[in-house]
Amino acid sequence: MANPLVNWFHERLPLADVDLRELTNEPVPNHLKRWWFALGGTPAYLFVVQALTGVLLAVYYQPSAQTAYESVRYITEEAAYGWYLRSLHKWGATFMVAAVILHQMRVYFTGAYRKPREINWLVGMTILTCTLMLGFTGYCLVYEQLSYWGAAVGANIAGSVPVVGDFMKQLLLGGEDYNERTLPRFYVIHAAALPIALALLVAIHIAVVRLQGVTETTFKDDAKRESKTFNFFPDHLMTEVMIGLVLMVILTALASIVPATLGPPADPLTTPEVIKPEWFFYVAFRWLKLFSAQAAILSMGFIVFTMFAWPWIDDWIRRKTRFSEASVWIGIAGVLAIIALTVWEAVVAH
Amino acid sequence: MSADVATNDDENGTGRRPLLSWLSTLAMVGGVGAAYATLAAFMGRFLYPARPARRGWMYVTEADDVPSGGSIVFRTPAGATVNVARRGGGRSAEDFVALSSVCPHLGCQVHWEGHNDRFFCPCHNGVFDPDGIATGGPPGEAGQRLSRYPLKVESGLVFIELPLAVIARGDGRVEAPPRPTGPGHDPCLAGRPPAAEA
Repeated sequence: MANPLVNWFHERLPLADVDLRELTNEPVPNHLKRWWFALGGTPAYLFVVQALTGVLLAVYYQPSAQTAYESVRYITEEAAYGWYLRSLHKWGATFMVAAVILHQMRVYFTGAYRKPREINWLVGMTILTCTLMLGFTGYCLVYEQLSYWGAAVGANIAGSVPVVGDFMKQLLLGGEDYNERTLPRFYVIHAAALPIALALLVAIHIAVVRLQGVTETTFKDDAKRESKTFNFFPDHLMTEVMIGLVLMVILTALASIVPATLGPPADPLTTPEVIKPEWFFYVAFRWLKLFSAQAAILSMGFIVFTMFAWPWIDDWIRRKTRFSEASVWIGIAGVLAIIALTVWEAVVAH
Repeated sequence: MSADVATNDDENGTGRRPLLSWLSTLAMVGGVGAAYATLAAFMGRFLYPARPARRGWMYVTEADDVPSGGSIVFRTPAGATVNVARRGGGRSAEDFVALSSVCPHLGCQVHWEGHNDRFFCPCHNGVFDPDGIATGGPPGEAGQRLSRYPLKVESGLVFIELPLAVIARGDGRVEAPPRPTGPGHDPCLAGRPPAAEA
């Protein structure tokens, strides 16, 4: 018996059931049953959490030097569940950065960026860059002391880039220095420009994954299974729902136990004794203390460029040298260096 | 009844597993639904204003500056006009009334018409007596009245209660001088400068 409601939709949306099944039932390789291969879905879920909580916070947030801090205080101390939603947003940001980095590391160490997936590596690197910029601009919006000085230092780092530095700094701050037009800029970048860019990038990223299919990895026990793939819907979606629930429980626990706090309000005349960025910039912050500004910025630019261009560099190494697994050892060295610099910055005051 | 079914099915070696499966699915879907519904409820509550604004007392005028049976117009720091009228000769809160100038019909500003001894709303011809009770127009038909500001008199000084956020914006000011009412009074004279009266 045909359902009249289904018929009503079919007459208006000429989408056959078979098309819908094909669209949702992408066969997924068996190795995705391991949760660490589902790390790509984790940032996607967190992006939704960030978008939802961000829209809600934007209802009360007022982006001006006179009102920003007070509006964050209102959200944290007076609005119902404001402390919870702000803490979710803060911890969600931390987890999102961590998830994107872990996803990128997994792709790196399994060599999933190699031909023909170089384009998606570039898209993924751009997503990582956008996520880090979202973290930076969001941190600046609170307009507490560390937000203000973080923004000032960040803008000066941009200003130290040879040739285009001054232009970038002026574009970021809306003037020579931090002024009354700066905070609205950060707000628009954080709440409109970057989220739109990120949503588009994620759409491209997923579209490319669908077009190319997921890279297949076989583990010892996979051989025993009859089918090499399983259905995206509902099987893999269930994995993602479970990951989402576990994330929500962890985020809620962290939001309750370690809620987002509010430091002293921004004072453009006094730099705090101890100034730190968010943890994911510790490595860059320590790097800046080790070398002169120009050397540190140029070397960081070179490292970032190398990361973007890695599929081609790796290809060259594999073709021209006998070190076919060089990327693994370079990756391990890189990760250890990042962890070492991050821990170093975390444990010392200056 | 479901227990009977389960027992009967169990004797046949079937039934318990599907029932448990069905129950566990229901519990899981219910649990997930309840968790996200709670989150949605939190989000909805977040959007609703947190609580009524905190309020405080704002100085308006000296009690003796308002003649018995007359009124003054006070403008709050937020720009709202408040009609403070003195109904009796005493100096207690009961002798004064502070009326909002916002018409309860659709929110227009009412103004005092001394010659008619009434407040008048120009939007839909709402009419209010000196105590703020509607006597004509749509508010009169609906039995409405101008809302009153809480008022107190301390040491001969008149205060009204306002949200602290309004008080923090600065000082209010008395806009219109005292308006005596009564037979033979010409309201046009009340606002004139002393030189014109001389």
